[in-house]
Amino acid sequence: MSWRKIPMKFPGTCIVCNEKIQINEIGLWAKGLGVKHEKCAEVKELKCGVCGGPAGCQQCEFIENCDLEKVSQICICKKCFDQKNSFDNYQESIKKQFHILNH
Amino acid sequence: MWSEKHRPQSISEMVGNEEARAAIVEWFAKWKKGTKPLLLVGPPGIGKTTIANLSAKQFGYDMIGLNASDVRSKAQINDILSPVLGNVSVLGTPMIFVDEVDGIHGRSDYGGTEALINILKEPTVPMILAANSDSSDKMKSIKKVTKSIVFRPIPPRLLRLYLENIIKKEGAKISPGSVIKVIDESRGDIRSMINMTQSMVTGFNPSTEKSFETLNIEDGINAFFKSNTLDEARIVLYSMQIDPREKIIAFYSSIVTSRISNDDMQNMLQVVSEADILYGKIMKNQEWRLLRYLDAILIKLYKKDTSIRYNKFNLSWPLLNRLRWDGKNIKAFATVMAKQMHISRSTFGTFYLPYLLFCLKNKQFNFPLEESFGELVEKEMELIK
Repeated sequence: MSWRKIPMKFPGTCIVCNEKIQINEIGLWAKGLGVKHEKCAEVKELKCGVCGGPAGCQQCEFIENCDLEKVSQICICKKCFDQKNSFDNYQESIKKQFHILNH
Repeated sequence: MWSEKHRPQSISEMVGNEEARAAIVEWFAKWKKGTKPLLLVGPPGIGKTTIANLSAKQFGYDMIGLNASDVRSKAQINDILSPVLGNVSVLGTPMIFVDEVDGIHGRSDYGGTEALINILKEPTVPMILAANSDSSDKMKSIKKVTKSIVFRPIPPRLLRLYLENIIKKEGAKISPGSVIKVIDESRGDIRSMINMTQSMVTGFNPSTEKSFETLNIEDGINAFFKSNTLDEARIVLYSMQIDPREKIIAFYSSIVTSRISNDDMQNMLQVVSEADILYGKIMKNQEWRLLRYLDAILIKLYKKDTSIRYNKFNLSWPLLNRLRWDGKNIKAFATVMAKQMHISRSTFGTFYLPYLLFCLKNKQFNFPLEESFGELVEKEMELIK
């Protein structure tokens, strides 16, 4: 399956977000599958609450049961998860990022 | 229970929904009379009620918790909330939390939503509402007068971090595979995830490793009576998320068909009766908040090493068999006889049959019977004293 980047000749509906893709807008098209927005084609990644980097969702043990669009957007990456006191590290980092939680 | 023991003590100790938590703290910090109430929207078990409790504690409010059943009618709302809204100084610094507002709908709403909206428009104390979904029409009107904060399901790996911290604190050991399984099965519901883990660690491990919610009533009742400790039985009972009526009936039928001593039977039936009375009260007045006490009553049924096992029917098997097979024959017999006597089948069964059997037994008269009914009549005659 290959997705081809094309300028839309006709309006279409994105298979990811179900929104319209207008004429002349750039969309990704695959035979038999349909079209999607360029933005929707990007691989979604949650953010690691400890190091601030990507959480590495594609390698996560829960990838099949984690709806990346729906869940709360801060998670923890494998490296930070495997560290000693990872839970305390997570809480400290969140407190630093969201100062108001220390109120 | 672990879910109580490890309940977060402050908002910062919670996991997930960081932005939502920060927004709530900010709302509390800036709250003044007239500030739009909060509407927390999100699936069950992810901390909406917990954050309301913790915020009240953190900001020094006395939380008054209500749920949908308390706010069904205008009169109910006024009875409960008027004293709070009108006389703040006497009642300390109250904060109102209405849980499951999306539960007031259809025929259960006797003007409650409208009255609530009127109060929400001019709040004199902090008010927080919680709902599982905000898509209904009723919720649209509530959303207009509140500030919505969406609570999203917590990413499973973050749940794992939280759960492993609890396991570590408890000094328990559980395989990574089981942890992943528990998290997958709890579908983001933290309370259910902790309960399941405790069940596994404390020795009760259903063969399927499924949550109690996914176990059927039979497995739930059997697990309850097989529990080794009261705590274990309590976990099983609290996790059996089934219709309360069904729960009471299942316990009743299992008890009355089991071979236990008369004293035990009497005590247990007394408990079932208490539970039934409570359920009757709930249904009569629609006071669903009383439902939380049902399990506290049913836990009294627990007795270690009892032989009680689940039974769907409240009659013993021999009696059930008799009702099924003999009942069928009696019905056929009554159909034939009713025709001969020019009466209805039920009249024959109720009034004529006992006398007929009595006369036949005492050989008062000889009645020509079809051969196929001979055995049945013999059997019934034996039962007449």
